[in-house]
Amino acid sequence: MDEIRTQDIVNLEDTDADELKRFLAEQNISLKPNELVRIRELFGRDPTHVELHIFNIMWSEHCSYKSSRAVLKKYLPTTGPNVVLGPGEDAGVVRFCTWNGKDYCLVMAHESHNHPSQVLPVEGAATGIGGIVRDVYCMGADVIGVMDPLRFGDPEGRHTKRVRDIVRGVVDGIAQYGNALGVPNYGGDTYFDASYDDNCLVNVVALGIVAEEDVIRSRAPDAARSERYDIILVGKPTDASGFGGAAFASERLSGDEEKERQEAVQVPDPFLKRVLTEATKVVLAEAKTRGVSIGFKDLGAGGISCAVSEMAHAGGVGAELDLDCVVKSPDTLPPEIIACSETQERYALFVPSDFTPVVLKTYNDDFELPHIYSGAGAYVIGRVTRDMRFRLRHRSHLVCDAHVDVITTGIEYERESRARQPNLGASEKTPPVKPTVRKALLELLSSVNIADKSILFQHYDSEVQGRAVLRPGEADAAVAVFLPGHPVGIAAGIGGSSQVAAVDPYLGGLWAVCEAVRNVACVGGRVLAVTDCLNYGDPEQPEVFWEFSEGVRGIGDACRGLEISKSGKHGIPVISGNVSFYNQSEKGQPIAPTPIVAAAGRVDDVSICQNLGFKKPGSKLVLLGEFHDSMGGSEYARLFLGGVAQRPPVPDLKRESSIIRTLVAGLESRVILAAHDISHGGMLVTLAEMMLGSKPFGTGCTIDLKNTPMGEASRERALFTEFGGIVVEIDAKGWADFQTTLDQNNTPWHALGETTGDCSLSVRWNGGELDVSVEDLDTAYRSAGELNRLFA
Amino acid sequence: MTTQNGHVIVIQFPGVNCEYETVRALESVGLRARIARWNARPEVLRDAAAIVLPGGFSYQDRIRAGVVAAKDQIMDSVLEAASRGVPVMGICNGAQILVEAGAVPGYQTGAIDLALAPNDMPDRSGYYCTWVRLKKGPASCIFTAFFDGMQDDAGTIPIPLAHAEGRFVTASHMVSEKLGSNEGVALLYATTDGRTAESFPDNPNGSVFGIAGVTNPGGNVLALMPHPERATWLHQVPRRVGGRWAKTRESARAESLFTPGPGRGFFESLRKGLAQ
Repeated sequence: MDEIRTQDIVNLEDTDADELKRFLAEQNISLKPNELVRIRELFGRDPTHVELHIFNIMWSEHCSYKSSRAVLKKYLPTTGPNVVLGPGEDAGVVRFCTWNGKDYCLVMAHESHNHPSQVLPVEGAATGIGGIVRDVYCMGADVIGVMDPLRFGDPEGRHTKRVRDIVRGVVDGIAQYGNALGVPNYGGDTYFDASYDDNCLVNVVALGIVAEEDVIRSRAPDAARSERYDIILVGKPTDASGFGGAAFASERLSGDEEKERQEAVQVPDPFLKRVLTEATKVVLAEAKTRGVSIGFKDLGAGGISCAVSEMAHAGGVGAELDLDCVVKSPDTLPPEIIACSETQERYALFVPSDFTPVVLKTYNDDFELPHIYSGAGAYVIGRVTRDMRFRLRHRSHLVCDAHVDVITTGIEYERESRARQPNLGASEKTPPVKPTVRKALLELLSSVNIADKSILFQHYDSEVQGRAVLRPGEADAAVAVFLPGHPVGIAAGIGGSSQVAAVDPYLGGLWAVCEAVRNVACVGGRVLAVTDCLNYGDPEQPEVFWEFSEGVRGIGDACRGLEISKSGKHGIPVISGNVSFYNQSEKGQPIAPTPIVAAAGRVDDVSICQNLGFKKPGSKLVLLGEFHDSMGGSEYARLFLGGVAQRPPVPDLKRESSIIRTLVAGLESRVILAAHDISHGGMLVTLAEMMLGSKPFGTGCTIDLKNTPMGEASRERALFTEFGGIVVEIDAKGWADFQTTLDQNNTPWHALGETTGDCSLSVRWNGGELDVSVEDLDTAYRSAGELNRLFA
Repeated sequence: MTTQNGHVIVIQFPGVNCEYETVRALESVGLRARIARWNARPEVLRDAAAIVLPGGFSYQDRIRAGVVAAKDQIMDSVLEAASRGVPVMGICNGAQILVEAGAVPGYQTGAIDLALAPNDMPDRSGYYCTWVRLKKGPASCIFTAFFDGMQDDAGTIPIPLAHAEGRFVTASHMVSEKLGSNEGVALLYATTDGRTAESFPDNPNGSVFGIAGVTNPGGNVLALMPHPERATWLHQVPRRVGGRWAKTRESARAESLFTPGPGRGFFESLRKGLAQ
């Protein structure tokens, strides 16, 4: 009875190579021959079907970080005085504020759902949100917001229709899930580039809040080593959806396969998640009241097997599960699917047996899961054992039996890395007709990467929970009240330019951090932690692996080098993140390297958070930062010069830190009335956006660059270079004092001009001038904005 | 101050998601509020001072928004309380439920005279989240008394909304005529200068006659699509709404962040109405 049957075993040794290959392909198993050998060694025997499927997922790039782990470990700082939990758990946790004697933490998770969103945009994006919020919920936290950094193909390019369908589908999926779940969406960023034509990027960030004393670990509690503990599965009935999802995320996409791989995309259900979340709150509160220790983990990649074996392993216990006790749809599912499917909206709980009835009653009777959703509910599927073995039974037969150490054994590769020669110094193409500054500005404003994105954000509920202070599009970062009734706010911003990373992958990483931190600083936030999502091509290609390593090195250097805390002493910890490889075109061309960083900061008093618009006439306009004469990676270059592979400016981290500290201090003392960084489109676009942001009050500006370094460069460079400075509006009353502060801190700055009461943008430089009315800017940015056409 | 038993009951149908901020908004004016699950015993409503159906996606919007919850057993008790004059407010999905249950406009007892149809917007469709302006309609109700005598911003307030089906419609001539002659019209979408909003974006969903909220003949039931609980504190007001509220927000300090926002009036009016 307690023996594995021969028919359940996969005979790895005696099967000939071709037949084995066929078998593995049939089963969608992507384990490599050397990995099969290793599995055999670990078990000391041939594995069962179920065991093979478990390893297929556990050793996928997505779960095992087999190519990336060493690099991440080498470069990223992950600790700091406020870090409660760094990478390794489902989400990172950092101390945020104290209120009424309680310490509250910010919980942050960041993932990609790129391949599923390419294949089935609505479901792929929705389950992206579904998965990332589970990572935060399972720490015992409440989710207070999500953001999505999105990268799509060229909507006017080779695959116009498909790209547009994906854009609409992804936005729809994000909206459907988050809106119904009741989690506000605070935006993120959205860019378009031909490099994503066959492989969009849908990254998702979730932010949560938890009292430090209420943080729950995804592990069997210590008490499980001496007391009787049950293992409960709660949520949606297990089905075949998402089977092999993690492995799918770790493969190359090819056009023919996309259809076949749709089954690997999970099916979202925010309704069930909402009810589950409400019921779970009651269960966790009850456990706390009774002083019961429980383990709680979401089911993501690898489903039941991964979640339960990892919890058991982390707690130093074993687990025995009866797959027949799992509620299934249909009931005939084979054991490997029951064990590994990635059906959404499920959690596993380890609870003392005498607490089990409370858990079952809460989910099944009080919240009526089986009644409101066919097949849903909480059921005991097994128990904790003390022999450290992970056993699965199906129809009374043992189908998996291994030490938990074996099941959770990692795998690691040392990938070859080879520098790609950057194509620097390529001559700029002279545009057939050089656009006038006016035409260039208006075309940039209406271009898809810059134009108003409110049509996109308005699909999302950014008001639910009532925390909003600055919503998507209102400023460079979103701000929400952390605890209702308390003036402290969380500011969250995104950074990541593939245009920079394509020219220099190291700078891409460095810039992503600087941009995210700068965005948060523009609303008065001091960054406490960042997360990263590293989107690259095939790590088995040495050039791609080099791009990846360089990106991580850049992120690490920036996080260590930026000293922006009040004391100015520590860098910024990376508390969670994700690596997404195998993002490439159908022809095997890797996407432009895309490291994306999310930064979360603290604003002590959110009353200082204003939108990016000019506030009143007669204020000083000042550029914080130094001008760099480089068109590398700019939108202007993309639109008018056929792209320029010029090295983008290298940020000086000491200076950058000083700018950020001065900026935040200026906002806190309310001498800075508005701040907006110079990014996509350059300084003129920044000024135009600040002017448009002053609506409905209507404030313009007059700018004179003649006595600045910008006045010396050729005009496009000055006006459209994306050098990363920050334009600030300074209250005229406080200008004299602030000037002293700038000089004392050695913060580089240049006076630009002042705000005016008439609604136009007037700029003068050596050899030219420009006057544009707010109406013309508004038409370009809003009604003629190319994004609108994608949704019409 | 309020009625003897005192609690405002916020009903949590499966899938609603605004219950907590709704409770906070009620508490912000000194009312006592409590969440009751859909399967709570009917007695919990017996002594309710008032009832609020919060926003969200009750029963997943299966069939259409609000219709399943409208047939939930607890709604019998809600309607019974409404018939006794207990104040009942449905916000967003709660409004959809009240409409589907025939609680408003109540021209004919028990009849479902209105529907909330998918938004009708130029060049876009689906869910729409934004801020609009609201003014009081001709029909009075307990929740809208705060509008009386309001001078600022031409008698309008800024308020957020977020929905895919918020367009009040009817197929009945009788109902259309009554609405046209202002019976039951409690709230209207407005322009910044105080006129009734006729077209997008001031009228955000194409609602007939610009209607944003409907009351019953007794004036104790209100179904409104915008979310007053998301405009209950000053920090929630975005600058782009302009007018008095944007100015007040701009000069806010830490201590004024949680002073009343433009939507607080709905809850304040309820408190005053209950105290009378």
